[in-house]
Amino acid sequence: MVLGLLLVHANAANEEPGTKNQEQRTEVFRPEAGKFPPFDKARSYRGELVFVDHANRRGSLRVQGTGAFRRNEPQPFAMLPYGMVRYHGAPADLRDIPLGTMLHVSAFLPPDPKISAVPVLPINNKKKDAEGGAGFAPAENHVLLLEDEASHCQREGLVWKLKEVDLKNNEGLIVASREPKAGTDGQASEETLTFDAATRIWRGRECLEIADLITEGVWPASGKKSLGGQAVQLGIIWKPTLGGVFIRFHISDIWLDDAAMQRAAHNQTETHKAFIRSRWMPASVDAVEYGKFGRATVTATLFGGMDASLYADFKKDIPVLVNGAENTLKHTEGGTAGPAQMASRGTILDVTKTPGDVPLSSSGIQVRFETDLITEGLRPTRVIRIRPAAWPDVHMPREEYLDSGNFHHEDRFPTPDIFPKY
Amino acid sequence: MKFFVPRSSFLVCSWLEVLRSSFFVLGLLVVHANAANEEPGTKNQEQKIEPFRPEAGKFPPLEKAHSYRGELVFVDHANRRGSIRVHAAGTYFRNPPQPFALLPYAVVRYHGAPADLRDLPLGTVMHVSAFLPPDPKMSAVPVLPVDNKDKIAGYSGTGVAPAENHILLLEDEASHCQREGLVWKLKEVDLKNNEGMIVAICEPKAGGDGKASEEKLTFDAATCLWRGRERLGIADLIAEGTWPASGKKSLDGQAVQLGITWKPTPDGVFARFHISDIWLDDTATQRAAQIQTETHKAFIRSRWMPAWIDNVEYGKFGRATVTATLFGGMDASLYADFQKDVQVLINGAENTLKHAGGGYGPAHMASKGSIVEVIKVPSEVPLGSSGLQIRFETDLVIEGIRPTRVVRVRPASWPQVQVPREEYVGDSSNADDRFPTPAIFPKY
Repeated sequence: MVLGLLLVHANAANEEPGTKNQEQRTEVFRPEAGKFPPFDKARSYRGELVFVDHANRRGSLRVQGTGAFRRNEPQPFAMLPYGMVRYHGAPADLRDIPLGTMLHVSAFLPPDPKISAVPVLPINNKKKDAEGGAGFAPAENHVLLLEDEASHCQREGLVWKLKEVDLKNNEGLIVASREPKAGTDGQASEETLTFDAATRIWRGRECLEIADLITEGVWPASGKKSLGGQAVQLGIIWKPTLGGVFIRFHISDIWLDDAAMQRAAHNQTETHKAFIRSRWMPASVDAVEYGKFGRATVTATLFGGMDASLYADFKKDIPVLVNGAENTLKHTEGGTAGPAQMASRGTILDVTKTPGDVPLSSSGIQVRFETDLITEGLRPTRVIRIRPAAWPDVHMPREEYLDSGNFHHEDRFPTPDIFPKY
Repeated sequence: MKFFVPRSSFLVCSWLEVLRSSFFVLGLLVVHANAANEEPGTKNQEQKIEPFRPEAGKFPPLEKAHSYRGELVFVDHANRRGSIRVHAAGTYFRNPPQPFALLPYAVVRYHGAPADLRDLPLGTVMHVSAFLPPDPKMSAVPVLPVDNKDKIAGYSGTGVAPAENHILLLEDEASHCQREGLVWKLKEVDLKNNEGMIVAICEPKAGGDGKASEEKLTFDAATCLWRGRERLGIADLIAEGTWPASGKKSLDGQAVQLGITWKPTPDGVFARFHISDIWLDDTATQRAAQIQTETHKAFIRSRWMPAWIDNVEYGKFGRATVTATLFGGMDASLYADFQKDVQVLINGAENTLKHAGGGYGPAHMASKGSIVEVIKVPSEVPLGSSGLQIRFETDLVIEGIRPTRVVRVRPASWPQVQVPREEYVGDSSNADDRFPTPAIFPKY
């Protein structure tokens, strides 16, 4: 159950991304085709989601540097094909994340700069300094892991401990620190965050407003109150900040208890399950054993970060459909007739779980299937989409497929032209 | 004060007078007779087919807008534009997203409250009232043949790419229904594994006029049900015994508001929409509107109230008395801050509502002055206008404050913040900043 619970596992399917962050690495690392890059070599940063082109799995983030946050130009990013998005402690797609959300990013240099869908920056760009401070435009803009505050904290075993609220006219400031639930590691420092009358407070299955807490006498109508280190999860966004403050973040949501957080995660999990069932599971091809007359046996690794129930549908002897896909995860084949039209069909011969540690973004699950029609795109290192035949047979919306043989170059290999230059 | 709103081509609803409060914009249908904060419109009219092109300095009549509905697929909120997959009679999934731009005075509503494009989740099905581009040469989205809405596009049907892509009113299902005085009446649920189908009809709360027809909509385990201050899942209703765990149940026409999205549809159905949210009672609907209203109030206070210049009386040495009309669709409390003798700051703005202010923040180069007079327009107020004019005197009339031009204005008591980089025009060295071109939209 992926409910945003803090479970540590060492294995495979439905694994939440990693356990603990490591110290920021500085060496240059570029992912290679067919290999899941090691998480500990990713560059980590944080930024506000400013723009989304979900059909091409890319967007822009205003990256937090050391200077005036609002001056920072949005920096384009692209999701790696196996890049994972998490929202409310659950798997997500870019389209699920509201603009303005602060996200934690783990990213690499473009695997192949020639076909990067976002601008390729100088490798040492993270050191570039400007009015936004250093680090606001890292060259590591191909994202392995993108997660909102609640997802990040749950993965790291952290909570926000609320120290004090200062309130006037249903808005104000909260002083809090992000630290381990079980105690403090001595490293967390207090942070001041804003909230306002639009901040949602989740308690069990209730969605409360600041005014409700005041009515209940939990928070004062005006003035300061100690909150005694109350442990919560926060949704964090950015809004323009009063008083010339360089950086101050805003609380969009407060989850007061585990039940509330789990309900949010459950809702997002169900959204994503329906999404993957309709778009098919992404995977990469590990090996192809060619037979005669178009027959082949294909081994593929399913990408990670999905709900366990999706992986559970891949079983020995079940029929599957498989399509070539682009790095954007767009279906290559099928066109307007739907992805099933030109898909390779076959039966799963084996489902294998990779022993040992599984890299983030791999599910650790390999499927071997035999098909009598090996189509273009099913080649080692290439990205595919695969679905058990029992999943719903639906047609993608127009922007999520290539129009077989009738597509623009930009459809397959989106260029960075879409992004404004400031 | 009343607006005339064209009837949506896809909903067959009776004409209904909807009266609203100007001081309580919670999506409630209450009475009011005045300008500012008025919710858009009262009565539908038959769909007009003559194309209409708005003119600079005039709010276009809503009844001349072309109305359609579609899924929000793409948003470029900094330039107030995006793409919508327009609904027609054909296979919906085939319809390529159609770029749209918001008119400077456009009204966006979400959950029955004022909103900005950035507040709308992708996938939301929106109701649109739109016009031809006011100035095709400067259109931020592709300019299409004037009769494009009458063209058949293969299996997609007729009207999936209307030339009327400059939007006056963009509203989600809940906002649309509340404006029109409609509710969804749930007839039957058919459920299996926490997902299924609902048969419902959209008609006036007080009783149907026999013109609406039943519609089937899907829902799933991610559908949110709002009851009072609770957010429930389908499983909660099953646990309570309100809905069956499996099979059909009559819902007896239970009146609700719906949030509607689109998802790919099995079984070869051309178009079937999906229920993202069900508001089971008025309290729940009002709470959703309240949160969205507060979100938008904070947004407008930080970005300033948009308006346009009606008149400039030039004085000496840079002095001028300027008359401006505040744009409509905001919460009443925002308009209430514009009072006689209040100090204001005014900036030139683009049609995208971007500040011309630059990196030092919008206040840096703003004209400053006092409000001399606040005037309520005595006649019917067109949608897009608040019906409120302010006259203010400044000792530094800056470029951009000219008749018909768009400005941003704020009372000095609103917070002085600096807007993010993508929301102001830089040093104007990049023409795209001021006049975004349609180049970013993919061609299918």
